Amino acid sequence: MNDVLVGRALVKRFGQTVALGGVDIAVRAGEAVAIMGPSGSGKSTLLHCLAGIMKPDAGEVHLLGQRIDTMGERKRSELRRTRFGFVFQFGQLLPELPAEENVALPLMLGGVPRSQAVRQAREWFGPLGLQTMETRRPGELSGGQAQRVAIARALVSKPAVVFADEPTGALDQRTGHDTMRLLVEATKHNGAGLIVVTHDPNVAGWCDRTVEVRDGLLAGGVRA
Amino acid sequence: MNLALTWRLLKGGGRRGMLGTWLTFGAVAVSTALLLFAVAANFAFEARADRGAWRNPVPASSGAAAVEKSRYDFVRDQVITVVDLAALGEETPAPPPGLPRFPRPGEAWLSPALAELARELPADQLAARYPRQAGVLGDEALVYPGELVAVVGHAPDAPELQAPPGDPIVGRTPVKVADLEGQASDDAEVYGALAVIAGVLMVVPLLVFGGAAARLTVARRDQRLAALRLVGATPGQVVTMTVAEAMLVALAGALAGTVAYTLAAPLLAGIEMQGGPWFTSDVFPHPLVMLAVLAGVPLVVGLSAVAGLRRVVVSPLGVAKRETPPGMRFVRVLVLLAVLAAYPVVTRGEGVGAGIIAAALALAFLGVNLVGPWVVGLIGRITARLARGPVRLLAGRRLVDDPRSAWRTVSGVALTGFVAGFVGLLSPAAFDEGPAGPPELRVVTPAGQVEQVAGQARERLREAGVTATVEADKSVVVAALGSSADVATVDRARTALAGIVPGHTPTTQDDDLRLSDQLFADIRVGTVVVLAVSFLVAVASSGITAMSSVLDRRQTYGLLRLAGTPLAVLDRARRAETLIPLTVMGGGAILVGVFCALPFISVGMSSAGAITLGVCVVAGFAGVIGAGALSRPLLRAVTADPAPRPD
Repeated sequence: MNDVLVGRALVKRFGQTVALGGVDIAVRAGEAVAIMGPSGSGKSTLLHCLAGIMKPDAGEVHLLGQRIDTMGERKRSELRRTRFGFVFQFGQLLPELPAEENVALPLMLGGVPRSQAVRQAREWFGPLGLQTMETRRPGELSGGQAQRVAIARALVSKPAVVFADEPTGALDQRTGHDTMRLLVEATKHNGAGLIVVTHDPNVAGWCDRTVEVRDGLLAGGVRA
Repeated sequence: MNLALTWRLLKGGGRRGMLGTWLTFGAVAVSTALLLFAVAANFAFEARADRGAWRNPVPASSGAAAVEKSRYDFVRDQVITVVDLAALGEETPAPPPGLPRFPRPGEAWLSPALAELARELPADQLAARYPRQAGVLGDEALVYPGELVAVVGHAPDAPELQAPPGDPIVGRTPVKVADLEGQASDDAEVYGALAVIAGVLMVVPLLVFGGAAARLTVARRDQRLAALRLVGATPGQVVTMTVAEAMLVALAGALAGTVAYTLAAPLLAGIEMQGGPWFTSDVFPHPLVMLAVLAGVPLVVGLSAVAGLRRVVVSPLGVAKRETPPGMRFVRVLVLLAVLAAYPVVTRGEGVGAGIIAAALALAFLGVNLVGPWVVGLIGRITARLARGPVRLLAGRRLVDDPRSAWRTVSGVALTGFVAGFVGLLSPAAFDEGPAGPPELRVVTPAGQVEQVAGQARERLREAGVTATVEADKSVVVAALGSSADVATVDRARTALAGIVPGHTPTTQDDDLRLSDQLFADIRVGTVVVLAVSFLVAVASSGITAMSSVLDRRQTYGLLRLAGTPLAVLDRARRAETLIPLTVMGGGAILVGVFCALPFISVGMSSAGAITLGVCVVAGFAGVIGAGALSRPLLRAVTADPAPRPD
């Protein structure tokens, strides 16, 4: 039993609307899980509850055996910074920072001195095919390059789990394919769990298994 | 069709879209109200100068109809303007403004306030100076409501209207005039010039603020209009829609500002200058001027919005891609240096008019505004290079990324530094003559009559029951009233000595200084008013731009928060983003302001000026920090959104 992240009987309502109706989910270290479902099915809400962005109305979330859904905002915020990594569809890079500083930012926020943080950040550029892109600003990168910088930023603080919300949604098929390969490989290489929210079966195909959410409930089974 | 779509987009902007619109509306309303104030102040001084012109006679080149002489008298430490008039020839000249007819010899016409005072005080302290009161002067004769004025009629050969032996502070030489039109006095012209300079000092930050208001929440508008360009809207359509949106909001703001000014005008009329408050009608600009402001403000806002959109119109992808912003050109610094180099030469020459000084000042002011973004970019690079932690790194990079926007947040307060530096150095210290001794009344006396006048003075004072030691000192008779004399005794002595030398006023040392002290006191009031307006603009500008900056960057802030960045770090970065440039540019602007004041001073800074400057620095930082703090709840609200999406 090496689950890094476990969600049990998660319930979340928005007014009369039930976004999650009692969802159980677990992710192991080095495992990639895709959460699929149509728009409004509750898949993003599930990601937000698991990542400590939202508090579920009922149920529990455990990270490495520690319950996190009862923590205060400050603790959950710190957890997101130190134990989780995030990759979004677009917009997560700070446009005014060069790529290497975008990657180094989570380390600096954790108190690592700038020079060391930038040095550590640069180590990610080679493996992700971003050589010579270190000092470019996000506006000077292609969509695929920007997503790879975002992957580096998500992994630089050696998180336990990486959350990706439609990470290839803004990319063409070929670039999306490359980006997913790098995301899955790099996450596994680091021994972190990966949760990918997507509606694209090609993206889900990169993951070890897929869970399907419909009307706030898990509808799909485990896929090898 | 464009207008209909603009209106739909404006209405459909959602709660945060509407907040941006409200911010623009508020900014324009504040700007308009203050602009009206700056404009009205100039017209108000002009109106005063016009109403007071009849007391400042113009010598007749031929065909004199009357002889006129004005002097000052005093009661209860207040100034009375006394105008002695006599008709020449058979035909009675037209009366001065506020009088139904030309005063006959021996008659005195008093202003309402003076007439009331004459009734209130014992006759031997005031009323006895004007034994034959014929009536009350109308408001047209007065510079301000409550002014103390007496018009006294004489025969043409009356000794009051003969040339005096020199009494320059409180009396003037009689002048033969063709009519009583007169001309604005030198004092009125000095006040008018100061009002023009004060107007420039207030209007320049207002223009900068108005421009900033037009570009509020520009990122949101940029994105929306860039999207319109991408779906095929022509540059013309995009420009029309931008102008329409900006001008629609600006017109509403300008109307609100005009209403606010109208409501505040009676309060503003209470600000005392030149010895008294204002007629409410003086502080209302002419309706045409109001209309010009109402039309001009939306126009400036519309033009500024177009300038802000240039990038979108030129390249639809320019905004979406966030390319590296082009660096600021060094030529901005050269422009400021050129203006500063020319400034002393232009302003120091003989007979330089207030208009040229005001223009030079405006150029220097605009120069500081021009160089602001360049300096912000430079200190951003330095801050980013030296940063060790995330706060300074974020702040520095942001300054480099968009120095114009960062400058907009602090420009108001920094430019107020210019005003504070300028007026701080110019704040005159009042004459410090040391502790006043016992009151003495002095009367300038024609040569050879000193002893005779001294004897008459002793007699008159004894009859009035005033204990005094009267001595003749060269051409002046001095009556020392003793240390126990109170203001009533002094006024009784003044009244007893009135007319002892016809046309000459007995004065104390304080009376002689009162007129120059008045100018200094007015400059101090003016300084406070100009600084208050500048600060109001600056702090409003800082608060509004801070809020719009949060709205513009809400997606970035939201995602940073989501990834675990503490709110405090974002907030500290925002604060550093404003305080670092404020410190550098505020200091720089103060120095430029001091430099611009140098040609006009002969002594160093007075303590009042230093205190003014110190208070400004503290108030500037407090204002900017406070305005920034006000936008913190907005930052918290926009970052609380768990799934930020671009609009």
